[in-house]
Amino acid sequence: MNAALNPDLRKRIEKLRVLPSSPAVLEPLLDLLRQPPDNIQLERVAQLVSYEKTIAAQLLRIANSSLYARSRPAESIQAAIVTLGIQRIEDILLSNCFGKIVPADKWVLDADVFWRHSFGCALVCREFAEGIGYGQPDKAYLAGLLHDIGILVTSLSYTEEYRAVLAAAMETGRPLYELEQETMGFTHCDSGAILAGTWQLPPAITEVIEWHHAIESGPSGNPLIAITHLADLLCRVRGLGYGYDEWRAVDLEMDAGWTELAKHMPKITNMDLARFTLDLDAAVVRVTALVDTIFTRA
Amino acid sequence: MMQAETQKLPSTAPAKAAAHDPVYFRIRDLVYQACGIYHSEEKLYLLSAACKRRIANMKAMESREYFELLSSPGSRVLELRELLNEITIGETCLFRSPPQINALQNVILPELVASRSKIGLRKLRVWSAGCSTGEEPYTLAMFLMEQTATLLKGWTFEIVATDLNDRSIEAAKAGIYGSYALRNTPDLYKRKYFQTTDSDKLQVTNEVKSLVTFSRLNLSDDSKMLFMKGLDLIFCCNVLIYFDVPAKRRVVQHFYSGLQAPGYFFLGAAESLYQVTDQFHLVHLPGTTGYLKPVANAEGLAKP
Repeated sequence: MNAALNPDLRKRIEKLRVLPSSPAVLEPLLDLLRQPPDNIQLERVAQLVSYEKTIAAQLLRIANSSLYARSRPAESIQAAIVTLGIQRIEDILLSNCFGKIVPADKWVLDADVFWRHSFGCALVCREFAEGIGYGQPDKAYLAGLLHDIGILVTSLSYTEEYRAVLAAAMETGRPLYELEQETMGFTHCDSGAILAGTWQLPPAITEVIEWHHAIESGPSGNPLIAITHLADLLCRVRGLGYGYDEWRAVDLEMDAGWTELAKHMPKITNMDLARFTLDLDAAVVRVTALVDTIFTRA
Repeated sequence: MMQAETQKLPSTAPAKAAAHDPVYFRIRDLVYQACGIYHSEEKLYLLSAACKRRIANMKAMESREYFELLSSPGSRVLELRELLNEITIGETCLFRSPPQINALQNVILPELVASRSKIGLRKLRVWSAGCSTGEEPYTLAMFLMEQTATLLKGWTFEIVATDLNDRSIEAAKAGIYGSYALRNTPDLYKRKYFQTTDSDKLQVTNEVKSLVTFSRLNLSDDSKMLFMKGLDLIFCCNVLIYFDVPAKRRVVQHFYSGLQAPGYFFLGAAESLYQVTDQFHLVHLPGTTGYLKPVANAEGLAKP
């Protein structure tokens, strides 16, 4: 972003800085995410859940949904937590933290479209990371989940203008970020970076948020950026995009992200991309079911 | 149980769709390695249904015994062929893959039109390799005819359709289809490109037929394959699954040299070219996958 060059654009960017402060649960939650999964204790998770009154009820509802086919209903929070597993609890807490940036009437993308894309990308990031031997698949998952939070920031500050941008993207089948850049002068990467800075997200995740659409200009040495970039591309052509089809052919192996990743992860060239893609289609079904369960108001 | 719940947490949720007999995952992998046809977890029920139909044909066989039948050298080749027939049964119909048609219309045709126009060409040549009873080539012919008002204005095109089976080709030439084969065909196409026959079926019009040339061709016949040149698009659906890897490589090599660049090659929805070629680039299109023969450039055709 070169806002420094253009005072008008700088003013527009300033408006993005009017953000809610980070929710109290975020810091301990990010702390928890840094723990190796084996170290995580039930008490700590239960404590996090207690930060937010509505969450407990939501967890019980999800744990007792058909997705988890329990033999008898979970009645305690602890039983719900065990049923859902730590990953799901993190998903629910994180999407709650970030979803609250935007009041209900200011969502530009539908909330379930946005979360389907985010969770879909998270899942693909993790499977992709595992497929190429990247050592921290859970971190890749988090990167995928949060990569597009800039969309929420832009929705908050420029609701009507952003709605027009989305409508134009749907109309033309072009990538959303291209139209953001052309129409608004900045992209959701720029607005996301502002949020990431204000809420002090981990640096590696912040880099993903800021550079996932501009691999060449971003910092090298953080494979998470390229992993997320490629997972995002895949999601957008396999029905987990922004609610419309982008009309283009994506050649992953000719993509800058692939080239960048191949430098760090030579294993990528052995990957069975066709099989990975077909498995992705199964992931689409899973993610859709998951998001429907989390975000359907009971 | 309650005690377990107060201990450490599982790191991932145990949410799983309906559990499958694990032997079907092994059959899935076996079929994939032998034929390149792949069933993801949510499509596995199709494979297990096909296996169960085969198992029902043989008396009282367990799924595990069936796996052994598929993996033992004596029975493997024949039984795989039978299973593949079950897997692909009923897959032929007109307009079988709407995402593929959409991708042709919105991505591939515009790209081909742009690249061919640059060198002054206004002609497209499409090959349906393994055309069976004609559903695929007629679909392509009708689809391209629909584009002549807009994208393909002033263009000509021909569709070459080949199959190994003489009886299929005879049926294809007749071009008569019942409601099952027509279940995906949009009404617009039914009205414009078909006429009714006495038997309540629909027959493609002579205009459509005139765009398609049917002939018998064995894809393994190297001398004949050399003549398949100057192509812009190749469709080869559920045919290569019956070939072993070396034979598959030879066929795909012919496809590659027959295509002009950029040109596209399409397989069936669950097929892949894994370990067959790295010349084609796997390309993701909305809801579907194609293989691209890229234009040679400064970087060459090698993978980056």
